[in-house]
Amino acid sequence: MIATREHSHSRHHRQELPREAEPPRLLGSPGRWLWLGVGVLALLLFFSLAGDDWFTIVNYCLIAAIATLALNLLSGYTGQISLGLAFFMGLGGYTAALLGGNPPVGPLDPWGLGLPVFVWLPAAGLVAALVGALVGPSALRLRGFYLGIVTLALVFIGNYLFRNLRFITGGPQGRNFPVPTFGSVSLDQQNSLLGIALTSGQQYFLLMLLVLLLSALFVYNLSRSRVGRAMRAVRDHEVGAAIMGVNLFEVKMGAFVVSSFLAGVAGALYVSYARYVIPDYWSLSLSIQFVAAIIIGGIADVWGSILGAAFVFALPQIIDYFSLLPPSTGGGGLSSGDLNALLYGLLIIVFLLFEPGGVIGLLRRLRPTARRLRPVGAGVGKAAVNEGGENIEVVDLLQHAPESGEEGRGPRGGRTS
Amino acid sequence: MSEVPNRLNLASDNHQPGKNEPLLRVEQLSVRFAGVRALSDVSFEVWPGELFAVIGPNGAGKTSLFNVLSRVYQPETGHVTFAGQDLLRLKPHQVARAGIARTFQNMGQFPTMTVLEYLLLGRHTRMRSGILRAGLFIGPTRREEWENRAYCLHILDLLNLKEVRDRPLGSLPYGLQKRADLARALAMEPRLLLLDEPVAGMSLEEVEEIAEVILEIKEQLGITQILVEHDMALVMGLADRILVLDFGRVIAEGRPAEIQANPAVIKAYLGEESEQLPAPVDDLPAVSEN
Repeated sequence: MIATREHSHSRHHRQELPREAEPPRLLGSPGRWLWLGVGVLALLLFFSLAGDDWFTIVNYCLIAAIATLALNLLSGYTGQISLGLAFFMGLGGYTAALLGGNPPVGPLDPWGLGLPVFVWLPAAGLVAALVGALVGPSALRLRGFYLGIVTLALVFIGNYLFRNLRFITGGPQGRNFPVPTFGSVSLDQQNSLLGIALTSGQQYFLLMLLVLLLSALFVYNLSRSRVGRAMRAVRDHEVGAAIMGVNLFEVKMGAFVVSSFLAGVAGALYVSYARYVIPDYWSLSLSIQFVAAIIIGGIADVWGSILGAAFVFALPQIIDYFSLLPPSTGGGGLSSGDLNALLYGLLIIVFLLFEPGGVIGLLRRLRPTARRLRPVGAGVGKAAVNEGGENIEVVDLLQHAPESGEEGRGPRGGRTS
Repeated sequence: MSEVPNRLNLASDNHQPGKNEPLLRVEQLSVRFAGVRALSDVSFEVWPGELFAVIGPNGAGKTSLFNVLSRVYQPETGHVTFAGQDLLRLKPHQVARAGIARTFQNMGQFPTMTVLEYLLLGRHTRMRSGILRAGLFIGPTRREEWENRAYCLHILDLLNLKEVRDRPLGSLPYGLQKRADLARALAMEPRLLLLDEPVAGMSLEEVEEIAEVILEIKEQLGITQILVEHDMALVMGLADRILVLDFGRVIAEGRPAEIQANPAVIKAYLGEESEQLPAPVDDLPAVSEN
């Protein structure tokens, strides 16, 4: 009945592995294909029908989603609180400016090397990651609240540097930033791709979408792998994780560096789209918006990050767009900015209190549970009764839908019995 | 299991021949917290293949001993040698790699992890994928994941946990959580398995089932085990040798029969008046000191 030890070693030879042990494929079920189809269709519709204003809103949201993923990896998956995201985004932004910006004309102009996008975009991530790797060893000794304070300090140090390194940042007045240019195709102008004329907004949209897709895939893959499990273990119980052989420092550093990389890339994309950014933009309030995004969207969840970014960074613009509220008066009235601040404060509290899983947790709970649970449930119910004896409560299976963890989702969960 | 040996006859005189080195050697170990001695001068040896039990009243230092072996507590003095290696020079996460796995006394640390993910977490040191390869999830990483999932499913099968493989730990009844924890420790392929009250809070049937599993781990896998447990019936029935701690000191060491007849042990557990340990009881009442 019991295992022989050779079992594990014999597996190293190429041999047939059991089907039931196959890691779930990304598109391993008809449901996933269906969602993919719906998603592609929606994107196509948006792409062909939306006007420039909408592209502006959505493009900023796509950039924000990349940064939200970065924070979710560090805080949501690994449990390391950080308020320093704005700092790493700023690093990425100014790396892009330095490498990709136009060479200075006057003696007071900030520097720029005029390198192409496939140099400055990865470099923005790498520089942020490198600084993350330098700061990490000392910052990550601290936990919880204290780590939050140290990363907060980074934002202020960054703000000081960004204001004063005029030759890179342009000082308090800000500077211009590079436009992604592929050969002769510059994204700030109308170009035609395969005979289709594309506006600047549409081209940026494609670039942002591609980077977001790659980032999301990377984070999703991490989350379902050895490293992702170790991250969640570190978040839930450090001592327990160490006892199982998880090197706490290595895991935290990995999360910190990858998170910084993604934040740097997001920062570079942001400056290249906004074209003009002052140092004060990389502020504490920017960091806090991303904290709001992961809490509202959903902790430790890729879709939650994207939804959270949409909630925090797109919804206010959409409300503005439809002029649902009078513009900021500066006087007594309630401006949309004030209302947003109020709304997000309220939303964070509501979600923390009533739906810690965020919007995505809410959506996942609203999905019909019976379909996912029936095959597992039938067996489990029996198991619980058989082995429960008198001491063990027989849990109500339908109330315990698996809510987190990639294993619990999707129809594959039903293949156990 | 076809052949359950008569538990009381599991004598210690059949140490595996040819292996004349203990797997674990603890020498004069002392642990102190803010003046309170949790362990004083504790010495013992555990031999390969042995099922070694540590018992003692509440607060006797059993869990402190495990925490030293997991490198959670730093002892004041003493040496611990595991498989010829100085254990006290390892960092906590290196202990698992060295071949020591431990179950948790209380569950609930990882409520959102599914049972299968929890076992895979246990295989952390047996897997290699770093952050870049894991993020790409191509070829070797996917295959490694597949192989290790297969291994974990095999262990889930052995412990009758396959049906709940995709359920989050937090949604399982306590007994199943403890069983999943044992499965996770086994998934680590340890040379030494530290069982920290594996049957606490379980029903009688579950205790029997776990006892059978513990015996199978010993008989068929040959994994050396140290068992800390309050359930006297279980300890007396399973253990090859028993170490009795009281107030952090070793008061007795020997085979179950010797321990049952040891006056110091009887005194520690039951106070002066009683003459002998009662026949196996389900759970010993807590002793007066706390």
